[in-house]
Order: sequence, then C-alpha cells, then structure tokens
Amino acid sequence: MTLTATLTKPQPRTAKGSPRLERGLLLFPLPVLLLVFYVLPFLGVVGWSFSLPEPGIEQYQRIASDPAIHEMLWRTMRLCLTVSGLALLIGYLLAYCWVFSPPFWQRVVEICIFIPFWISVLVRAFGWLIALRSNGVLNEGLLGLGLIDHPLQLSRNEIGVVIGMLHVMIPYAVFPLLSSMRQLDQRVLMASRGLGAGALRTFWQVLLPQTLPGLLGAFIMVFVFCLGFFITPVLLGGGQTVMIAEYVFLQMFQTSNWGLGAALSVVLLALVSALIWVLMRITRVNRLVG
Amino acid sequence: MSLDHNRDCIEVLIEKARGGQINRRTFLQAMGLMAAVPLAMRSGISWSADKPLVVVNWGGDALNAFRSAWTDNFSKATGIPVRIDGAGPTEGAVRSQLASGKPSWDVVDVESYSALVLGREKILQPLDYNVIKRDQVAPALASDHGIASYQFSYVMAWDSEKFGDNGPKTWADFWNVEKFPGKRTMYKWMNGMLEAALLADGVPADQLYPLDVPRALKKIDEIKPHVLSFWSSGAESQQLMIEGEVAVGAIWHTRAKLLAEDSDNRVRWSYDNGFINSSSWAVLQGNPGGSAPAMQFIQQALQPEGQLKLFELLGNGPSNSATEKLMNAEQLAANCASPENLKKQIALNAQWYADNYAGALEQYLTRLSK
Repeated sequence: MTLTATLTKPQPRTAKGSPRLERGLLLFPLPVLLLVFYVLPFLGVVGWSFSLPEPGIEQYQRIASDPAIHEMLWRTMRLCLTVSGLALLIGYLLAYCWVFSPPFWQRVVEICIFIPFWISVLVRAFGWLIALRSNGVLNEGLLGLGLIDHPLQLSRNEIGVVIGMLHVMIPYAVFPLLSSMRQLDQRVLMASRGLGAGALRTFWQVLLPQTLPGLLGAFIMVFVFCLGFFITPVLLGGGQTVMIAEYVFLQMFQTSNWGLGAALSVVLLALVSALIWVLMRITRVNRLVG
Repeated sequence: MSLDHNRDCIEVLIEKARGGQINRRTFLQAMGLMAAVPLAMRSGISWSADKPLVVVNWGGDALNAFRSAWTDNFSKATGIPVRIDGAGPTEGAVRSQLASGKPSWDVVDVESYSALVLGREKILQPLDYNVIKRDQVAPALASDHGIASYQFSYVMAWDSEKFGDNGPKTWADFWNVEKFPGKRTMYKWMNGMLEAALLADGVPADQLYPLDVPRALKKIDEIKPHVLSFWSSGAESQQLMIEGEVAVGAIWHTRAKLLAEDSDNRVRWSYDNGFINSSSWAVLQGNPGGSAPAMQFIQQALQPEGQLKLFELLGNGPSNSATEKLMNAEQLAANCASPENLKKQIALNAQWYADNYAGALEQYLTRLSK
C-alpha cells in the first residue's frame, strides 16, 4: 500500500513547517504493525524453510532441481504475465475513457469499475463459472446466434483462470493509470494535435511517455497481486491449473511438507521484492510521479 | 410475565448453558433473576468442564448433522458442552495446532491414513481402549490413534440421458470413451483414483496394493483429455453432474445418492467397484479439554443410535455394524457398509496411504496440471 501512496499522491512539499516528532508519532504504528504481524512471523517461515524436515538447504535444492516445481512456477509466471498484459491494455483504455470522456460516459466507466470491485472474489469466480461453462449463458448465446457450432471450452482450464483473474485485476490497473492521466496537462495533447501530429503519433510521443510511470506502477500492482491468486484458479481452473499459492497450500495442509511450502514462500517473496526493486530503479517511479 | 413464559426462559437458559453458549456465572445470575436458583441446582449441568470439548470436522451439512447425531446427546448425558468447528482437520492443520504450542482442538474427524501418520509422529494421543470399546468396529477400522467414525465410498455415477439404461459399470468402462463418450470428473485429492486407473488397466482387484503409481499415472494420462474437471469439493462434483456438464463421474456415494434423488434418477450409480474408505476419530496430544472427556465422546459417538442418525442425515455408513440391526431393508440397501454392499466394493488401504500419500499426490497433481 505504501507503493500506491507514493505512486498516486504527490509528495507533500510542506515538510518545512511540520514538526518531525508529530509526523514520527503518526507514522509509528505502521512499521510496528508490519514488524509484529508480518516480519516476525515471516522470519519463522524462513526458519522452517531451512529446518524442516531436517536442517539444511535441501528444500531450496529441490526447488532448483525439481522439474515439476519449475513447471508450476512457469505456469504461474505465464498466467500472471498474460493477465497483467491484458489488464494493462484494458485498464489503459478504461482510464483514458474515464479521464477524457464526456461526464456521462465517465460515470458509466466509474460504475462498471466500482461495482465488480466491491463484489467478493469468490462470488465473481462462481459467476464466471456459470457464465462460461459449456451450457452456460455465453455458449448458449453464441450457439443460438449461430456464431459457433459447438460450445467453446472457456472455463475449467487456463482460459477460465485468465478471464476470472483479469476481471478482478482490471480496477487495480485502472487506478494508477487514472492518477497519471489526471496529472497530465491536457493542453499538451492539444498542442501536439495542433502542431500537426496525428492521433497515433500523439499517443506514442506524448501520451504514452507521460503515462509510463502509471503504466509501470499498474504493472507492479497487478503482477504482484496475480502471484497470490488462490480461489480463482482453484474454481475456474478445473483442478488442473495449480499456481504457486495453491501449491504452497498443498504443501502446508494436504501433504504437510512445511519445509517446502516455507521455502517456496521465501522464493516468492524474494522474486517479488527483486522485481519491484528493478522496476523502481529503471523507471525512478518516485521522481517521475512526484 | 406469565408463568409459562418464565418456564420457557428457564429452559432456554438451561439449553444455552448446556450448549456452552453462556458460562456458569451468566447462567446463575440469569437463573437468580428468574427466581429459579433451586432449579439451576437441579439442572444437572456439570460445570467441571467449563471449557467445551472442541470437535473438528469438515463443515457444511456435517456441522448440523454431527450436532444432532452425536454432540447433543453427549452434552445431555455428561453435561460437557461440545463445540463443533468445521475448519477441516487436514494433516497440516492438525500439525499446526501442536506446533502453535497450545492446541485449541480436542477431537478431530480425520482421514484414517492421517490418523496413522499423525499418530506415528505423536501429534495424536493413543486412544484409551479401556473407555472406547475397540471391538465395536471391524479390526481394520481401528488403530492405536484412530477409530472409524463413519464410512464412505468413491463410486461411479453416470448420466442416463446420455447412455440410457446401459451405463458404464467398471473402471474400464470409465476409461472407454468410444463406448461411453462424454466428459468425466475425477477426485483432485487422488483417493481411489489410482486404484481406478489400475483396475481399468487390468490389475486384479486383490493385487492392487502396493499401488504401482507410475503405471496408474500413465493410465490417467489416457483419460485426462476427457476429464472436464478434477473436483475438490462434494458440492462441485454434484454441480458437474446435475448440470450435465460431465457424463460420468468418480464421486462420493453421499453425493451420488443426492444426485439420483434430485434428478429423478437421471443420474444413476451403484456400489459396484466403488472404493470404501473410513474417516477416523482421533484426539490431539495435550488437548485442552482433557483426555477423559475426549475418549468418552468417541465411545458415545460409536453408539448405534447416533450412527444411524448420521446415516439418515448424510448417508454416511456407520462404522459400528451393530447399527445395521436398527436399519430397515431400504436403509440396509443404501448403506455402503452393509455386508451386501461391502462385497461389491474394494477397501482403500489406509496403511499404503499413510506411507505414500504425500509423494504420490504431488506426482498426481503434476500430471493433472500438464
């Protein structure tokens, strides 16, 4: 969440006047909360990864060498990248409509984003299951219109998982993009058109570079969230789309191989941290947004 | 306040106290207000166990069924309140209870092979067979750390709309998509599925164990393109069949029974070639409610009356065969554990699962995800 704060909120420039102590006191609970409820327990998980069932790096060696785990990790990456890419594309279009459309259409986009955003992920997964199954609304509709002659397999596989995850993730892509588009001086776009650039050139040379930080921020948000998806792949994947979160669950509860589950959690956290660090470095997100 | 209403309030209070919903202090205060302290004294509620016994099962319909089949009677008889928690006592969840240093669960309804695994690791305490009468269940259904609570079966169910009266009967039929075209569903957590694959591949039923995992997985590769979904909850399996999304399913007999009823026998099933399995009562090491009440509870839960009740509510087969004496002909035919039906089925080998489940499950799931 600190990330969103830095991305969407301009840094306060009134630091001179605010007493340091007061600010420190106000911020104090957050790191304490993180330390007590996240860092400390997670150190315990790190401990398990090196000590269960026997002390050593056995679990990490297994992650490095087991083709089944590599396949699961690759599936997770593939699905998360697909969802992130699509969410960014759709999110960009929606954010654009939200900012640049007439007020009526702005309201429509707003409602279409917020209503599903407030519905539980579980309910949405069930909804998609009903809509996408072979005798569901979508297939029946397409069959009725004569557009297809046999039902499409849209759920209980990776397609279903992508659709379900995408639906959850689009708002998370829209919000950072929205803030970077709102900060944009719209006169720049007009100037570009006025100087004779076409719509495409305005997009490539003016709009896209200006909204790049928002785009990268949206990517980090969406991709990191995607890595932790559990319910949606379980329900829409037909039991055949095991991603890392479910795999960790499997190790913790079903086979109770805690060492491996813990080691995978550590690997996941390391991957996510590295990714965020690299992206922050290459884009200097803070400076560009701030 | 009328006298009748007063009496009713007192009854409610006694009920609540028995159910562990209010504590002793509240109960006595309230009874004092109702001018019924002598009644409170005679209510027979034993406050020695102020802490309720926590019985953990898999939730859903089983929450209420357990209550009416077992825990209500137990609380009435002993004054020990029981709280049912539907958290799902997977091996990992039971283990984490102990790892936390202070378990909050007493009695758990675990897979029978989990009772062997967790018993081996001293996460469960040995059952006290002085309190629990071991010979109430068949010898194979009791071990040092677990005794069967009920039995259930993995059976083949099929859609008569697709196959008329001649549906698939054997596991070879399940694999035969030429003769029985249509999508399948199988169990995601593997129990019974490797056995089904081996039977379909021609392994004789009496030579299944120890399971030849690679051979079974190879056979599963064959059917996998025709499996629409590997179900992980009973409700999911029921949904797949009732909607006609799959033509044949390997599902729990309890769900098959509901499906046949709900679909006016469009979905059909039988115990033929089913895999019978038992669930076990077990007690956590150092359980908060104490050993004695936990053992007492298990002994009480093995009584035929309660077992019959659970059968009537959920269709789970009793583990105590004396229950069959209370059953009518129709119930006997529907009971997965009656001698007639046992003959048709193959018993899952809990010892094999205790020794091999974790490793085999990982391989199985890897194959499914390919």
